[in-house]
Amino acid sequence: MTWQHDDPVLYEKEKAEVEAHFPELRFVVENSLVYVRGNFAVMFEEQVLDHYSVELQLPRNHPTGLPVVRETGGRIPRQTDRHIIAADGTACVLLPDERWRLWPVGSPLLEYLTGPLHSFFLGQTMVEEGHSWPFGQWAHGAKGVFQFYREMLKTSDLRVMTTYLDYLAAKKVKGHWLCPCKSGKKLRDCHFDQVKDLREKISRKDAEKSFTTLKAAGTSAIEDPEANPPAPIFQS
Amino acid sequence: MTADEYLYDILASQTLGDDSDEVKTLQRHRADVEKLIRDNFKDTALTVRYAGSKAKGTMNKESYDLDIISYVSSGDNTAGESLEDIYDNHKKALAKEYTVEPKGSALRLKGCNPEDLGVDFHIDVVPGRFTDETQTDAYLYQSDGDKKRLKTNLDVHLDHVRDSCLIDAIRVAKLWRVRNRLPIRTFVLELAVIKLLTDKKKKNLSAQMEHFWTQLRDNSANLTVQDPANPNGNDLSKCLDDNLKSQLAAPAKHTLEQIDSSGWEAVFGKTEKQEKAARVEILRRAAAAATPSRPWLPKA
Ligand SMILES: [Zn+2]
Ligand SMILES: [Zn+2]
Repeated sequence: MTWQHDDPVLYEKEKAEVEAHFPELRFVVENSLVYVRGNFAVMFEEQVLDHYSVELQLPRNHPTGLPVVRETGGRIPRQTDRHIIAADGTACVLLPDERWRLWPVGSPLLEYLTGPLHSFFLGQTMVEEGHSWPFGQWAHGAKGVFQFYREMLKTSDLRVMTTYLDYLAAKKVKGHWLCPCKSGKKLRDCHFDQVKDLREKISRKDAEKSFTTLKAAGTSAIEDPEANPPAPIFQS
Repeated sequence: MTADEYLYDILASQTLGDDSDEVKTLQRHRADVEKLIRDNFKDTALTVRYAGSKAKGTMNKESYDLDIISYVSSGDNTAGESLEDIYDNHKKALAKEYTVEPKGSALRLKGCNPEDLGVDFHIDVVPGRFTDETQTDAYLYQSDGDKKRLKTNLDVHLDHVRDSCLIDAIRVAKLWRVRNRLPIRTFVLELAVIKLLTDKKKKNLSAQMEHFWTQLRDNSANLTVQDPANPNGNDLSKCLDDNLKSQLAAPAKHTLEQIDSSGWEAVFGKTEKQEKAARVEILRRAAAAATPSRPWLPKA
């Protein structure tokens, strides 16, 4: 059961679009998994600013799941501050909870490459050349999740946050539930629209993961709001 | 950035420090060549020295050569009786390890890997014999030309350049020669710069260069150079003939037009500083246009 068999038209479309835009990338199927391999060009205004040897492993549930990305040239040090997991060389391109903003479910794969992946490698080049991450970076692990939801929900209250996540992960939400914002009101009389909107954006699976991550970390997820603030767009 | 700041930045990026890979490679080649010569002339009193841009302080990263003299003391016949013998014996000795091509008074060595050096790197060895025990003037054999014997003096040549106060202008002119692929010999180019700028030494570098190119453009027909070590005996007119002069006039005209229409940057390209600034600028613009996504590592 693989997406490329279920939807050969989508496979051909993704392949054609990506290979047309990135002539040095190739689609390869191995053990029924789809890989995109080759030279990833970081482009701007028709100029190639840099390239990276990459491998994208598309999940079996593409385009719902996120690709697993590896830099295969050995250029980026496998360090957490470069957002590469030392054990397997996987690149941490984005926080899944944020993908609706960067590459919503159902978007063409090409838009992942020209969107978040382009930003990731542009950032790598800039960090390598002595600049900071152009858009900032989330703190690692639970702290990053905390930062993200603090920004989204405009609250630093861990209880409020995890209640929200609980509601996002639930199969259904009912209007008579208490609102997570601690107003004491029922959801239907308070933040129902906001919760519904977030449930559209953030998948239940991602919400549940973040819920578990925050629960497991407890108060250690909370950190000084001043630490790792979202950076302004790169200043020279 | 002023024109002079620009030119000094360009020169700085062309400067080879003593601990640069290029200079170390140069020294290694020199040591190899010197050992080969000395091993072959064990009984000969030889003077082996740097003679080219390394000795004059006019080396540019983009193109530099290794010029070595190998002079036998006067009255020493152990390396050969005649100048021609000395030249041929050097040729034989060097041929053990290099492909040798006679080139005027020099023996040009090939077969060293040009990849690890400048674009048109070569090693020239100039054999000769000092005229007397003061070890100053020397006779060289000329493999081409009508006259087979040429009197010269390395220190006069070196001092002529080093004491000219025109080292920077010479380096700019040499870079200009390389960029325009002009077939003028280094020695002749140096003499031309010194001759044309001899009363412009107090001017700024950019003004000197503009004067130099203006003269090449307008008056190259009248330009002659003389060997300071042998003004009457060494006729350099063949090294700067009418054909070459017109080959110099055209790019000189073009260079002046470039400065006029597009500024100095058009002549030698961006400096390293400008390249860096341009790189930062394009990265900044690329970032401003990119999806603002922040990386995240799942585990702390
Ligand atoms: Zn990271
Ligand atoms: Zn509420």
